[in-house]
Amino acid sequence: MDGLFSQLVVLGSSGMLLTAIIILWRRGVPAYISAYRWQSWLLAALTACVGYFGSDAGLYGGAIALVLLKGLGIPYLLRSMERRFGAQHELRPYVNTETSLLAAGVLVLFAYALARPWMAVSALPTRAGLPLAMGLLFVSLFIIVSRKKAITQVIGFLMLENAIALLAVVGTYGVPLLVEFGVFLDALMGFLVMQIFVYQIHETFDTMDVEQLTRLKH
Amino acid sequence: MTIILLWASPAVATALAILVRPYRRSVGEASVGLAALSLLASLWLAAQALSGTVTPATATDVSRVDSLSALLAVCITFVSLVASALGPGLGADRDGNPILFRRLRLARSAAAPELEAADDEDDPAQSRRFRIFQNAFALTMIVAVTANNVALMWVAIEATTIVSAIAIPFERSKASVEASWKYLLICSVGIALAFAGTVLAYSDFVSTAGHLPDALNWNILRNAAPSLHPELMKLAFAFIVIGYGTKAGLAPMHTWLPDAHSEAPATVSAMMSGVLLAVGMYAIARWKAVVDAAVAPAFTNALLITIGLLSVAIGAFSLVIQRHYKRMLAYSSVEHMGLVSIGLALGPLGTFAALLHLVNHAVAKSMSFLLAGRILRRYDTTELARVSGLLAAMPWTGPLFAAGILTLVGLPPFGIFISEFLLLKAAVMTDHVWIAAAVLVLLLTAFISLVHHLNGMLYGPVPAGVRIGESRGWAVMALGGCAIVLLVLGLLLPPPVAALLDRSIVELVR
Repeated sequence: MDGLFSQLVVLGSSGMLLTAIIILWRRGVPAYISAYRWQSWLLAALTACVGYFGSDAGLYGGAIALVLLKGLGIPYLLRSMERRFGAQHELRPYVNTETSLLAAGVLVLFAYALARPWMAVSALPTRAGLPLAMGLLFVSLFIIVSRKKAITQVIGFLMLENAIALLAVVGTYGVPLLVEFGVFLDALMGFLVMQIFVYQIHETFDTMDVEQLTRLKH
Repeated sequence: MTIILLWASPAVATALAILVRPYRRSVGEASVGLAALSLLASLWLAAQALSGTVTPATATDVSRVDSLSALLAVCITFVSLVASALGPGLGADRDGNPILFRRLRLARSAAAPELEAADDEDDPAQSRRFRIFQNAFALTMIVAVTANNVALMWVAIEATTIVSAIAIPFERSKASVEASWKYLLICSVGIALAFAGTVLAYSDFVSTAGHLPDALNWNILRNAAPSLHPELMKLAFAFIVIGYGTKAGLAPMHTWLPDAHSEAPATVSAMMSGVLLAVGMYAIARWKAVVDAAVAPAFTNALLITIGLLSVAIGAFSLVIQRHYKRMLAYSSVEHMGLVSIGLALGPLGTFAALLHLVNHAVAKSMSFLLAGRILRRYDTTELARVSGLLAAMPWTGPLFAAGILTLVGLPPFGIFISEFLLLKAAVMTDHVWIAAAVLVLLLTAFISLVHHLNGMLYGPVPAGVRIGESRGWAVMALGGCAIVLLVLGLLLPPPVAALLDRSIVELVR
């Protein structure tokens, strides 16, 4: 039973990491949005799975909330934002595709090294997912710093949040409900405010390249 | 009970500002009144913490009020009251002095047409937005320092980013949109890392003690800390310092700070620089106490000293090349947060100095930013080179601004002199003479460049087109009050404050 459980966790976590890596080699924002949607669904499935094997009914509620907010709601808002600005492509990121993929590999290795003491002390059947969650965290950070479009940065930030949710699920079987609720609220508010600013950047700069945002120095 | 008053006053003020539309002046007046009420509540809490009548937070309480929380709450509510009283939407004369109790005044002097004419009304929509987000900002900070649950504290600190980011682009320009975007993105990412650190610590707790409902409360966490795994807690603390350090403006995560603080309206920068940074340091200090119980303190100390020295250095050297006075104040914040970070790593005396420094800095920096707002209003520029003759042009603002800057460089008789002196003393006493030397050199650098910039602003001819003379209104009195607080803190360090600090140290250093 535990064998199946840990395999499912590794499968789900790897899938989530893979969806983040997709962003590094695809160029179009629609592809990014569907990658994010897949990642959120995987996260919800994993949460439900941990709820089933860990017999914690509260996690089912968490999974449903994840599907509603991150699987359906936010991708819908992202898509309407993308439609309004017309086709957006990440044509010349700060770091090119090949280097990005190599960097992602190095980051995942680094995550494995960093998670070793944690793996050593954890007795949970889900512990194999920990380095993958850390890897996802670092790859999301890398997306934020290496891509130019404001909307790509927002998606990177959303993936970072998914990474932390994954970390909480596989590392602790979910944080207490009250905290979960607060985090959810913050995630939603944060996303909505970022959306406002993406619109403002588009209006004031006539572009979504944050490369243009260089007015303030020293 | 008092804690409910403390939380409810800004909440009611926010709700009032949201519900009443279009904006009316009475909303602004009510929110000043409520801010004063929450200052009273926090002072009452501080008194309770001092007299020991406050019941210590049990494991299941939502809120906790110990001396440290009360200290921070007093700072937050004080700065929030000053910012609220000087904010837009109260009706202001041409010097930006809000006319409180205006009806009273009008009644007293029936012939006040010139007062009426001098009024330049703020845009009601902007005033409404300011009132909503200023109060929400104060509320989130108060919740952050009084929450008993580390994760709830995180939720509140994350919320501060969201509400203050909306308040920055007061007048939408390219620069202000850029500043808010940087602020929002960098701080959201940073704070997400802090949550990763919280989850790491929690997962260690779960693996040793099992699932407990209130495992994330400070008391439980701290009592359980000695049995946690040092390796894991080190990793967690690294995440937490990076995360909350981003909020606190510690280098190298400080890059958002000068932009956001210089682009925000003066009242918002005063709150961001004066107390939001302090809230970030508060989170680090609390976590340090937990981690120190699991790992030998040498680890956290080394980390904080490194990052603190780097911040002081970057802050001090950026001051040398500054061309804008608001950015100058912002970089000075980086420098001061670095000092606080170093102080936290230097044992009980260092912690005392660090907390006192937080208090002094909260008053001095918010006062300076509010005065900078007045200077900007008069000179219509943030460039240092285009501001001169301040003493002649603004006979009240000029000397007060000078007092603010002289406080920030650490001159006696103002408060920061005492805290910096204690910090150096703590460094020498804990055999970190080289730290004391390095800090001293960097402080000297900051001193020279700040005083040089200040000289340029105070003296010289008043540029053409800048009005000369200034009326003495409420705003000047409020800001003068801040200067007096700084003097009192520097000259005699009131016993209640010292006692509050002493008790806070017991919370932090075992």
